[in-house]
Amino acid sequence: MASARPSPIIPTATAGKTSSHVAQKEANKAAIFQRLHPRIYLERFLEEKIRPDGRSIAQNDEGDNAWRNVEVNVGSITTASGSALVRIGNTTVVCGVKAEICEPDLDNPSEGFLVPNVDLPALCSPKFKPGPPTEEAQVLSEKLNEVLGNGMLPLSSLCIHSGKSAWVLYVDATVINYDGNVFDATLLAMVCALKNVMLPHASYDPDVNRTICTRPGVDPTKPSRKLVIQEDLVPYGFSFGVFACSHILPDPSASEEPLLDTSISIILDSHAQVLAVSQLGAGVDTEYEASGPDLDDTPARKADTLAECISLARNRLAILLNKVYDTMN
Amino acid sequence: MQSTFDRRRINGPEESLPPVFISEPQDTFSNTPVARKSRKVSDIRPIFLQPGLITQANGSAYIETERTKIACSVYGPRQSKNTAYNEKGKLNVEVKFAPFSCEHRRAPLRDAEDRSIAVAIQQALLPSVQLEHFPKSTIDVFVIILEADGIEGCIASGAIAASTALANAGIDMYGLVTSCAAAVIEADIWVDPTQEESNTANGTLVLSCMPALGIVTNSWQTGRMTPSELLACIDACSGRCTDIHSVVAQGLLNSAHDET
Repeated sequence: MASARPSPIIPTATAGKTSSHVAQKEANKAAIFQRLHPRIYLERFLEEKIRPDGRSIAQNDEGDNAWRNVEVNVGSITTASGSALVRIGNTTVVCGVKAEICEPDLDNPSEGFLVPNVDLPALCSPKFKPGPPTEEAQVLSEKLNEVLGNGMLPLSSLCIHSGKSAWVLYVDATVINYDGNVFDATLLAMVCALKNVMLPHASYDPDVNRTICTRPGVDPTKPSRKLVIQEDLVPYGFSFGVFACSHILPDPSASEEPLLDTSISIILDSHAQVLAVSQLGAGVDTEYEASGPDLDDTPARKADTLAECISLARNRLAILLNKVYDTMN
Repeated sequence: MQSTFDRRRINGPEESLPPVFISEPQDTFSNTPVARKSRKVSDIRPIFLQPGLITQANGSAYIETERTKIACSVYGPRQSKNTAYNEKGKLNVEVKFAPFSCEHRRAPLRDAEDRSIAVAIQQALLPSVQLEHFPKSTIDVFVIILEADGIEGCIASGAIAASTALANAGIDMYGLVTSCAAAVIEADIWVDPTQEESNTANGTLVLSCMPALGIVTNSWQTGRMTPSELLACIDACSGRCTDIHSVVAQGLLNSAHDET
């Protein structure tokens, strides 16, 4: 493997300066090397303290540079009650909320329903085929259902008439471009779409056993309303990967994700309190680190992986909140 | 409505209905068309077309014509699996509606409208792709409708996006396919009808062609119209297709410049 060591791989972004033909050839060589030896490709980048897409490594957790750029756009889909488009780097998710009316559950007569689902269509990545939801989509939907069901939206606020009529909010997210960290992007899209929802005024008429709604703007005494959202409990997700037991990679991209030993998701509320944490895998191996030849001995590296991720997530939250508030207002 | 329980998805209540409003807008029931405000009957809706947005795909395009929003990606040519040897490649088109794309919620696997759109788009594209260059291979074209405003507009925009995505993927083609719809409303021909307008139409036509070669690749006519109206619709559509062709070509050119 070591015999064919190509010269340090030049990311395509910097290639424009030399003659374009040579640059194209170098870029092709790099792409082929990445395809054949993805692990070594990533290792070489990390040795140079940089990630393949040009981000810096989170070591001195100052930088916003460790994360990809986030863009949020709300309300562009008029057929939905509320909608949001979120881009994290190249990862793109569209989420639309459809509000319908149903009979409440017998066990909870004064509660509505919140039904989040994620679709990973064949369109978004070569690894998916058309057909029923993949295992990954099912796991993702389940995870989001747990996080969104934490009380951010009190289900009692969706009740129209106890025992007879309630709102059901179908929160459907479709991934358009799968470039890693789909969980964070989808959660953000769902939260922003829910914040964008306008419910028409609805009243239950017991005589005809029907719920009648009023179109917004028709009757000023019956205005449509926003959802009752507990701002303190709104979840924001921050995902990390651990590569080779030594590097914490925030916001992993699609090319990094399959190489990670550990994936960690930190879910924070808007006051940076931890709402949920999941860690699949072992984390950074401190033993390995102590004996590792080329790693510096900063105290932060010795700390517990999870604690480090939480502090990185908190730093990021402030920046993310600014972005979200900018677009929502 | 029975057996909608699907253990692979998060399920809501057994039955739910879209909200019922006191004052339904009159025009959904009456058959009188509402005059267009922002464009003439011979005008199409403005097109926003962006090739190459889906980085994971070999080629892709996103198209927006006012409310209609469609994303399309192309994967391939890749190996055909589980099929006998075939000298010609296969062009596979799949269309999916996002659940929030229409007035009513599109629950997964409820109707077959997406499949009929897929067939219409596939037929529009087939004569343009040089499939004989891709033996034993499949070219997958995936289309997602994020917001729909008229099924005719979806087919037309979908075909334009798919052809743009094929070009963006570097698939060999004879020419770019563009597509346009027209409706016969009362005695007039309205080009590129919206959902509301096609509800009041006697008949509609979707025409797909390769304007660079002057060849029609597909036409799909429904409803009542006289032969002379049909010919007039074809004339109107093919004129607009030529206009759209320059939009598509310019879009592809711009994205090619951006890449280098």
